Amino acid sequence: MSYRQVTLSRRQLLKTGAGLSASTLFFSPLSANTVDTQAHIVIMGGGASGMAMANRLASRLRGGKITLIEPRETHHYQPGWTMVASGVWNNPDKTMRPNAQFVPQGITWVREYAAGVDAENRLVELANGEVLSYDYLIVATGIQLNYHLIEGMSPDLVGQHGIGSVYASIEAASRTRQAIKTWVDSGGGKGIFTAAPTPVKCAGAPLKMTFTTLSHLEDSGRREAFDVDYMTPGTGLFSQPWVDDFVRERFTQQNVNIRHQFRLSAVDPQAKQAEFTFVGPESEFTSHHELRAAEYQREGLSTVVSDYDFLHVVPPMSAHDFIKQSDLIAQEGPYRGEWIDVDIHTLQHKRYPEVFGIGDVIGAPINKTAASVKAQAPIVEENLIAVMQGQEPPARHRGYTSCPLITGIGKAMLVEFGYEDDFAFMPSFPFIDPKDESWAVWVMKDRMLQPAYYAVLEGQA
Amino acid sequence: MTFYGALTILMYAIAPYAWWLVAGAVFLVILHIVAYLRGYQITHYRCNGALIVSGLVGLSAIAWIPMMTNSQLSYIATASDWVALISGVVGIFILAYLLLHPASYLVREKT
Repeated sequence: MSYRQVTLSRRQLLKTGAGLSASTLFFSPLSANTVDTQAHIVIMGGGASGMAMANRLASRLRGGKITLIEPRETHHYQPGWTMVASGVWNNPDKTMRPNAQFVPQGITWVREYAAGVDAENRLVELANGEVLSYDYLIVATGIQLNYHLIEGMSPDLVGQHGIGSVYASIEAASRTRQAIKTWVDSGGGKGIFTAAPTPVKCAGAPLKMTFTTLSHLEDSGRREAFDVDYMTPGTGLFSQPWVDDFVRERFTQQNVNIRHQFRLSAVDPQAKQAEFTFVGPESEFTSHHELRAAEYQREGLSTVVSDYDFLHVVPPMSAHDFIKQSDLIAQEGPYRGEWIDVDIHTLQHKRYPEVFGIGDVIGAPINKTAASVKAQAPIVEENLIAVMQGQEPPARHRGYTSCPLITGIGKAMLVEFGYEDDFAFMPSFPFIDPKDESWAVWVMKDRMLQPAYYAVLEGQA
Repeated sequence: MTFYGALTILMYAIAPYAWWLVAGAVFLVILHIVAYLRGYQITHYRCNGALIVSGLVGLSAIAWIPMMTNSQLSYIATASDWVALISGVVGIFILAYLLLHPASYLVREKT
């Protein structure tokens, strides 16, 4: 895998711009009130949330030891994958940067996969057999894509036989783009877009892929020659009620056939056929929080088999298996067996107070976006430091999440909302209405959110 | 967001275009210095042609700014969209004028 070096990095710019360099002296984050400690803090995962926490804690703590467990050398800007898959960004390398650019000085970077957690004894096991002990643990391990729960499906199939899936990898996003182009160029046929029976990262991505593909179909001048289905296991299309109604109305206007309570259960790539299982109103799948292995094994459920020319697969998702097998996993409630058991406001583990969760791995009704990390990171920082000082966690996360919902290539809505008042809007900018489709929001998604994301990684936003 | 945070975002945003921006700024400064050394003063020299062409370049930006952002004019819908677009148009007009005005002086002086 390669990535293109940017001609002038942010850090280089800060060094070369005399005036700006002077600004950095005056506004250095190192001047924030630091805390003395002798504790060993282990951060599992170097994605958006783990890297943001590494930078924040490296700035706040003096003494002690911070260990970041992250095996990958490359950091992926995953919110850019929909832009690649939809053909807006022609250069996939734009989404990649070396992790070394973001890992702060003074911490220990362990380039190894985590393989287990023994929360009772405060131990983390690595894939190479080593064991790390910790005083405090931040779990930021992200999400596991469970393509194997769809019979016949594998991420290797993406880009072949009309199959696309934006989630699998940046390479898969590029191959998805090619699969969509092949379908559009064919001049007609049926496309099926799916949603997963579990919480997913970037819950807007399945909708964005549908909307951007509709733009391509309309631009082809032969929209009427294409059938588009949207198959979803739940009764809704989006968590936020106003946006749910909006998407439903827009899909109807754009002749998208919506079918509820169907999950993608099998794929026959050679025959270009997809099997959908009717999960029914009594199914736990219809609660978008839940994934039950038993439901996958239920027999006698009605299924439909549909031919397709293009199929966008959204796999079921969960915490990684080694997390699911650990003491950290929720043992009751809607997240049991699948996500870690944190207080959704303090982000502290409910049974192990020295453990905090952040990012996609936590059990929460919404919040699996990079924007959520921006809101969660300062909460975890403040609460962890309070706990280290023997205090109760003072900061509360209100569930802020954000989805720049692309409703067509060239326009988007800045949908920001939180836990409270039935996922009420939480707009950041008074001059942007979350209910409006907007070019300015599109430009923000296209040009500004990636810089903002990197600022989050550096603990600066 | 802190000042340093805003600066970080700005730096990442302009990093891919940094050399183009620097080269453009250097070219503009050199152009003005050369024109100034030959008697050009921005407040005293009149050139309606430069003004009109700059205006047309600015107005044309209404069409090509959305295209450059993978969008289209029909998607400029909200007040924020129009404010952003008009700001872009005004910026392009000023830039074109700062380029064409001294350039026209140098061309006239030569002829």
